[in-house]
Amino acid sequence: MAGAAQHRGAFWSEVWRYRHFYLFISPFFLLFAVFGLYPLGFSLYLSFMKWDGLTAPVSVGLENFVMLFSDEMFYTALWNTLVIGLMYVPPMFLLAFIFAGILNSKRLHLRGLFRVGVFMPCITPMVVVAIVFTLLYSAESGLFNYVLRAVTRLFPGGPMAPIPWLESEAWSKVSVALLLVWRWTGYNMVLMLAGLQGISDDYYEAAIIDGATRWQRMRHITLPLMRPTLVFCGLMSLIGTVYMFDEVFVMTQGGPGTSSTNFGLYLFNLAFMDFRFGLASSAAYTVSIAVFVVSLVILKWRRPATD
Amino acid sequence: MAGHMRAHELPAPRARGIKYCVPEMLLLVPLVLAGCLQAPPPPTPAGQRVIVEVWSWNIAAGSLMALVPEFEQQHPGIEIRIDMTGAQMQSRFLLSLIAGVGAPDISQLQLVDAPKFAPSGALMDLTDRAAPYADKFSPSFWENCLHEGRVYAIPWDMGPCAVFYKRDLFARHGIEPESIETWADYIAAGKRMVEASGGQTRMLALSVSGLFQFFEMLMQQTNGGIFDREGRIIIRSAENVAALEVLRAILEADIAVPINTAGPEYYASFQNDTIATYPLAVWLGGSIKDYAAPTAGNWGVFRLPAVAPGGLRTSNLGGSVLVIPDQCQNKEAAWKYVEHVLCTKEAQIAQYRNFDLFPCLMTAFDDPLFDEPDPFYGGQKVRRLFAEDIERIPTLTRTKDWNEAMRYITQALSAWETKKLDHEVFLSQMAVKLERQLGREIAPGHEPVEGG
Repeated sequence: MAGAAQHRGAFWSEVWRYRHFYLFISPFFLLFAVFGLYPLGFSLYLSFMKWDGLTAPVSVGLENFVMLFSDEMFYTALWNTLVIGLMYVPPMFLLAFIFAGILNSKRLHLRGLFRVGVFMPCITPMVVVAIVFTLLYSAESGLFNYVLRAVTRLFPGGPMAPIPWLESEAWSKVSVALLLVWRWTGYNMVLMLAGLQGISDDYYEAAIIDGATRWQRMRHITLPLMRPTLVFCGLMSLIGTVYMFDEVFVMTQGGPGTSSTNFGLYLFNLAFMDFRFGLASSAAYTVSIAVFVVSLVILKWRRPATD
Repeated sequence: MAGHMRAHELPAPRARGIKYCVPEMLLLVPLVLAGCLQAPPPPTPAGQRVIVEVWSWNIAAGSLMALVPEFEQQHPGIEIRIDMTGAQMQSRFLLSLIAGVGAPDISQLQLVDAPKFAPSGALMDLTDRAAPYADKFSPSFWENCLHEGRVYAIPWDMGPCAVFYKRDLFARHGIEPESIETWADYIAAGKRMVEASGGQTRMLALSVSGLFQFFEMLMQQTNGGIFDREGRIIIRSAENVAALEVLRAILEADIAVPINTAGPEYYASFQNDTIATYPLAVWLGGSIKDYAAPTAGNWGVFRLPAVAPGGLRTSNLGGSVLVIPDQCQNKEAAWKYVEHVLCTKEAQIAQYRNFDLFPCLMTAFDDPLFDEPDPFYGGQKVRRLFAEDIERIPTLTRTKDWNEAMRYITQALSAWETKKLDHEVFLSQMAVKLERQLGREIAPGHEPVEGG
């Protein structure tokens, strides 16, 4: 006991001794407590409540979770999220990797210009992007269908026909996925470029002396050493896909039907359209736990293979 | 330990930092002083002026602003501040009601949102003050401002519907707008329009994701609805089937172009030949004037086609109300302003004349403004046309769940169209879905049918 008390005393005297430094770092912790920790705790509390935001919350136990798991829209939203994710993440990774490889090449001129060019989409305000894409996707007069029509004229009888990008349940996910590839390739490319630049040239020189082919160098040096970067990109994409909102909200509002309603939009609708804050909190917590578990699994692969 | 060492090396640069800061601090002193001197509002000699803050959006806010000087002249003790809050307004308003502070003294709300806020207890009960005006507003609107017989909102503008059309296209293809009396006539005219223009001109814009708005418009013509006055579900009804039949007929006639209402392409179409008519509410006129001013004179309006010969030839889409939050400190002053802008004929007429906000106050309809020819519509007296039969529009009971129900129906209408679902089956499915999701009961006589 005395030992513990002494230890505690030592702890506080250390804190007092460095009080100025703690004072300087305190703004972050204060802000985090108010805007991060408190909402986290409050939404956990809300997930066991029924609350419309205006009248007093009523405790409902686990009813929100029961309701959530019996809501077909919850599953539809998760399914749509998964499909959109599978549609855009692989091509985006491939493109980002290729662009990063090109930009990493020492023979390339105007590297900064290209880097900015590829990165630009992800710093453009999303609402502007979505509105421009809505125009590009227009069934009647959009650029994409204009090109498709021109191709059809050149090769009559071909399978190309105007596509109802945003107007059909079959195409709406594809349209969202294409937008996401365009928007997020640059972001992942910058991360991957940093990863590539972190790989020492010595490995490649040694491998070349050993007579390794291009593919062998890629397979046994670049990819293993890039693993932490790829895992990080994967994690960011996972979280981004689940909580994506403005892309879908501005471009399709989740439609037609429910074909492009992802989890982020589902959550928004529950909370801010229907004022069901309890149900929305329980949905958010359920999916956050799932995302957390999947993240742990992904993180297991983070360490670079050194064999 | 290393951190410990480094920590003790820090004081020197820190001291230097402070020294460098001193001149800058001195520069700040006058600014701070100026701030202090400005901070308290100067007391007016004629006693305290009460400030009333109003939240509103775009055109409506402009309209309120135009009425301020006159009001302040009549009420020297009141100062009105209009805050044009934009798209975030509803969530900000909700947050301020939850927090119990920060709400404005008066706020604009969409008509469909009013029933969501009314039962909360966060809005001022206006029943006694509004009593003299109860029968002066459009009845279909007034009903939605009530909750359990108490008044929580005052109707502002409404959206009576008609069909805007382009005169040159109708003349070129020899179609008489006056000959269109029912939706069947409209479809026939549409087919002629498409054929005569070689497919270049379509009759209207109607996209899969925008079907609900059209359904809502038709539903009022057939006296259908989603909820009855007790809040029970009445979506499966012969009236709604009749509305869906019209909608399906329009879609199957292949006279529509799949463009979203209120999208950029839609606005662009005001100035080209892709779309001939726009069956929508009176407020579309404001947008046409904004986006296509050079087309003035080429526009005309004909009354909304009826579902059956002799049927109702109008409907309502949209509209807004003003509410006073219960946390308002100057309720008396706030009410005076609401009363002035919404319950007086003069203010309503000024708003309609200058900002195209169609008055909900029916006593305004006998104003000569309604019989003035409008040059934008080739001299047609469109205002009178919009005012006609407004009192006959049936009440669409919204309830607080209207937006949620609307979303489910919007989503399902897409499948109804693409899979060509039977109307009864579709409405039965919706009844079941609404019952489950909203926890409301289905009214007797509106139970889902077999196969639904």
